Amino acid sequence: MLDTVVAAETPEGIVLELHPAGLPARFYAFLLDWLIRLAILYGCAIVARFLGGIGVAFWVVLLFLLEWFYPIAFELGRSGATPGKKTFGLKVVMDNGLPITPAASFTRNLLRAADFLPFCYGFAIVSMLLRRDCKRLGDIGAATLVVHQPQAAPRITLQKVEPVAPVRALAPRDQAALVALAARAPTLTGERLDELAALAASVSGDQGHAGSAVTHRVLGVAQWLMGRRT
Amino acid sequence: MTPLRFEELYQAEWQELECLLDRLLGRKKNAAKDGAPVDGQRVAVLYRRACEHLALARARSYPAYLLDQLERLTSDAHQVIYQRREFGLAKVKRFLTEEFPRSVRAHSTYVWVAAALLYVPTFVIGWLVYQRPELILSVVSAETAASYERMYSDSAVAIGRAAESDWLMFGYYISHNIGIAFQCFAGGLFAGIGTLFYLIYNGASAGAIGGYLTERGHAATFYSFIVTHSAFELTAIVLCGAAGLRIGHSLVAPGRLSRVQSLVKATGDSAVIVSGAAAMLLIAAAIEAFWSSAGWLPHPVKFSVASACWIGVLSYLAFQGRRAD
Repeated sequence: MLDTVVAAETPEGIVLELHPAGLPARFYAFLLDWLIRLAILYGCAIVARFLGGIGVAFWVVLLFLLEWFYPIAFELGRSGATPGKKTFGLKVVMDNGLPITPAASFTRNLLRAADFLPFCYGFAIVSMLLRRDCKRLGDIGAATLVVHQPQAAPRITLQKVEPVAPVRALAPRDQAALVALAARAPTLTGERLDELAALAASVSGDQGHAGSAVTHRVLGVAQWLMGRRT
Repeated sequence: MTPLRFEELYQAEWQELECLLDRLLGRKKNAAKDGAPVDGQRVAVLYRRACEHLALARARSYPAYLLDQLERLTSDAHQVIYQRREFGLAKVKRFLTEEFPRSVRAHSTYVWVAAALLYVPTFVIGWLVYQRPELILSVVSAETAASYERMYSDSAVAIGRAAESDWLMFGYYISHNIGIAFQCFAGGLFAGIGTLFYLIYNGASAGAIGGYLTERGHAATFYSFIVTHSAFELTAIVLCGAAGLRIGHSLVAPGRLSRVQSLVKATGDSAVIVSGAAAMLLIAAAIEAFWSSAGWLPHPVKFSVASACWIGVLSYLAFQGRRAD
């Protein structure tokens, strides 16, 4: 399996698939967060200069809060992600797919102090590259996972093709493959679709033939398998 | 059952669940507006049904678009149904009156070891520097030593700093001291060696400065400055160190768990201690900035308040929440 999918079983007995985010996605998210923090600090520094001593003090406190608590505040919010992560469609969840708990968020962000060593998040990068689930040290310790947020896929509707009864009995696996092909049909080029349909031509009794007419009939079989009869 | 028939039968339920989720998550602006509260029981029922449908659809190898739809629906609902609301004053109160002090007592061995690692170097190095004050020069430069002496001399208006505002020092103490404590904790990930280093290093450097200033005759000013906030600050650093040691120990000797399982368990336990310690460090920073530095307060007042703080902190950790243990 090439996918880096992490399976999380729910108490209802179904398996949720989590897609851990790799180093590049997380790096971009981090970079964006870093720029946001920099912008806030820069903006506040201008205000702080006018306020004098107290202003500078608040600025130093802000620096501290942004360094340690910026991620915690956002991770515990509704989206479970900092603005950077949200922009790149990432999200922090627990290992088992549940929303992150305050204790876990606190831990994973404090352990950042270890990830940062020896310089430039060295240990975090090594850890993310070595692990299939791309966890940094803080994620390992807090049992959290940064995942790609499931995207709402556009609803696929099968092309209206006249249903054709298959000429032979089909195993459930073959049926699933045909239906999957039909669902993918709109995203494929005509030539590629013909090639793929030619592989399955035996279901409509067209072995050895290829072309748009064969493709039409193969897709028709898929319609039949989906349950359409007219 | 064919996929189309399946979809036709249950589509209405999925759409209802989707609508409820949209409202709960506030995903659609117009959906959130109508005020009727969402029926939680209905969400739970629909969620369980959707799980059932997903399992069926997978077992029957239904087309990918159906599986996708159901997977997204169930994972969204899963997040909503199993979310934990852990905020609120009741939670904070429970944390302060029970969880934190109990967790500290449950890890008392680590706390004692961390205390030894911090205080033994403090006193050893402090005594050495007191005996031979020139040793301070192997720790800090001559100018730094001189500036320490200036800061803690009896004539200083505000003790312990180069005459900047209280607020500025408050900010500095927060970012500096809490940073040290968090490093003591995170250092535990390196089999505890990071924690050992930070505890011993900070203990030794504090000892060197203390020993030097005592020898130079600034004892009264120096100790009256540090004694109050150190009740919170040093104790919090010890606690963070204890949490770091707990993590390190869990990695070195995981027992019957795998190393990762053991680490997760240890961080879960120690997160309680570290968050308590972070609160203590905030108190310490406030005291250090506004109380400890006030040069006009007579020393007896400072020392009596300090002893009250030390007794308060230690007995809080030792006795709070014991009755219900």
